[in-house]
Amino acid sequence: MTGPVKITSKAEVEEFLSKYDNFLFDCDGVIWQGDVLLPHVKETLSLLREKGKKLIFVTNNSTKSRKAYTKKFSKLGLDEVTPEEIFGSAYSAAVYLKKVVKFPADKKVLVLGESGIEEELASEGIQFVGGTDPSLRRDIGPEDYDAIVPDPSIGCVLSGLDLHINYLKLSIALINLQVPETLFLATNIDSTYPTHGKLFPGAGTMCAPLVLASKRQPISLGKPSKAMMDCVKAKFEFDPVRTCMVGDRLDTDIRFGQEGGLGTLFVLTGVNKESDILDENADVVPQQYMTKLGDIFELLH
Amino acid sequence: MTGPAKITSKAEVEEFLSKYDNFLFDCDGVIWQGDVLLPHAKETLDLLRAKGKRLIFVTNNSTKSRKAYTKKFSKLGIEVTPEEIFGSAYSAAVYLKKVVKFPADKKVLVLGESGIEEELASEGIQFIGGTDPSLRRDITSEDYDAIVPDPTIGCVLSGLDLHINYLKLSMALINLQVPETLFLATNIDSTYPTHGKLFPGAGTICAPLVLASKRQPISLGKPSKAMMDCVKAKFEFDPVRTCMVGDRLDTDIRFGQDGGLGTLFVLTGVHKESDILDENADTVPQQYMTKLGDIFELLN
Repeated sequence: MTGPVKITSKAEVEEFLSKYDNFLFDCDGVIWQGDVLLPHVKETLSLLREKGKKLIFVTNNSTKSRKAYTKKFSKLGLDEVTPEEIFGSAYSAAVYLKKVVKFPADKKVLVLGESGIEEELASEGIQFVGGTDPSLRRDIGPEDYDAIVPDPSIGCVLSGLDLHINYLKLSIALINLQVPETLFLATNIDSTYPTHGKLFPGAGTMCAPLVLASKRQPISLGKPSKAMMDCVKAKFEFDPVRTCMVGDRLDTDIRFGQEGGLGTLFVLTGVNKESDILDENADVVPQQYMTKLGDIFELLH
Repeated sequence: MTGPAKITSKAEVEEFLSKYDNFLFDCDGVIWQGDVLLPHAKETLDLLRAKGKRLIFVTNNSTKSRKAYTKKFSKLGIEVTPEEIFGSAYSAAVYLKKVVKFPADKKVLVLGESGIEEELASEGIQFIGGTDPSLRRDITSEDYDAIVPDPTIGCVLSGLDLHINYLKLSMALINLQVPETLFLATNIDSTYPTHGKLFPGAGTICAPLVLASKRQPISLGKPSKAMMDCVKAKFEFDPVRTCMVGDRLDTDIRFGQDGGLGTLFVLTGVHKESDILDENADTVPQQYMTKLGDIFELLN
C-alpha cells in the first residue's frame, strides 16, 4: 500500500477531481477556523459546483442546528449552502433517536449541550430538558444533593459540546445514568475543538466525566461512527466509490471516510499535522492530502 | 489466601484491635456521609483513643484544608487536631514543596476549592485560579484569542472543583499543551459519595484534561505511593501494626495493601459487600464490618 499522495500540481488536482462526483466536507479546520473563512475556500466550492459536484457538509459540531449553520456559511459569503446540504452530529443524534431508537413520546432527553441539539430534537418532535435552560446555569447548592434523584421521565442523556458545563449538570446527568435503562448518547466525542489556531476542549471532554463516573460508554452519533455514516448514506444515497471525504482530523474525518468506503482527502489547516501521516506508526493515513482546501482553486489558476 | 473475614462478634473485635496500634481512617463514607455523622463513629474513636491507639485521618477530599477539617469534625462532636489529618490537598502541597522543589517564581493553576489554596499557601507556593471569582463566568469570544500558555504557570493542579466550567478547563488545557508544565491531581476518585448517592468525584474534573491533552496527572491521593510515602515519612508508624479503614476498595483498601498495612473495609460508603465476595474481585480487604461504629456496639 503506497503512502499518502500530496496534491501540489494542476494535473494532480484534475486527476483527483475526475475521480469523485460527491464531496463530504468537515467544517472546523477545513472551511473555516473559528469565524474566519480559510483562503480560497469560497472559490473552491463554487468551482466544484460548476463542475456539477454534489457538496455535503458533515460536521461533528453540535452547538448549531443545520439552519443556524447556513447563517454561519452566509456570514462568510457562502450563501448557496442550504440546510439540506448540512449534516451535523446534533441532527444525526435526533434522527437516531427518532428512527432507530423510536424514542417514546412520553420520555425526555436530558441534554448537556447548546441550542443546536435542542433545535434538532425539537424538529424531530423529541422532548428535552437541560441544554440551554438558564435555571441550570448556577452553582450546586446544599439542597441539590438531596433533591437530585433519577427522573423516571428521562429516557436518555445526550451529551455534546457544552460551553456552559458545570458541576450541577454533570451531577444530574450522572445520577440519571446510574439507571441502566437510561440511554447514554453523545453527539460526538472529539477530544479537542480547533478554533483560533488553538485546541480547546472538545465535546468528548463533556462526556469523559460521565464515562469515568458511570463506567458506561455513550453511543456516539458523530464521525467516525458507523451510525452517522449509515444516516448520511441513507439520506443522500451516493455511490461511496465516487465520493470523497475531506477533513482535517485523522481519527474522525479520515477514519469516517475510510470505514465508509469513501475516498479521503486530508488538509493541514486544522487539528492534525503532516508529520502525523508521514510517521511510520501512523494509525490512520489518507489517500491524498493538500495544504488547504483552497489549493484546489489555486492550483487550477 | 482466605477470603475477607467479617467481624460480627465481641471476640472478633477484640482480636482485631489487639493487632494494631495505629489506625488510618478515610472520612467520607466511614466517619460521616455528607454532613451526617455515621452511627457510633464518635464512640468508636473515643474508645480507640482510650485504648492508646493512634488515629490518623487520611482523606482524598481536597475541598477543605486540614484546619478546615477540624471544624467539620468539631461540628460533629469529635475532637481532632490538624496534625492528625492528612488530606490530598496537603499531600499535593508537600509533594510540590519537598519533592518537586517547585520554583518560587512559578505559580500553580488550581482547578479546585479553598482547601487546595490554603494548603499551597501554607507551603509558600503561589497559585492562580481556584476560588478566584473572576473565572466563575462563561467563556467569551475574546477569551479564545486571549487564552495562551502563561510562562509563569509551572503546574496545573486539579482537584474536586464544584465550580468547574469551560473557561477553566480551557485555560488548564492550553497550559498543559506546554510539556514542561507539571500535571498533578490531588486525587482521581471517579465518584464522591454524599447524601447516600454517588456524585461526580475529583477524577471527573481531570478526565476532560486527560482526554484532551493526552497526558496523565501524577495523583497525590489514595492509593498513590506518593501519598503513602508522605504519610509514612510524617507519622513514622510500623506498617505491620497499622490498619487502614475505608469504604472504597480501589482507593482506601488498595492504599493500605500497597503500603503493607492491615485493611478494614466498611459498608457505609461507595462499595458493597457483593464487591468483595465476587470471585473476580480485584481488591479484597483482610477484614470488614457493616460500619465503623460496630467496634463500639460489639464491645458494649
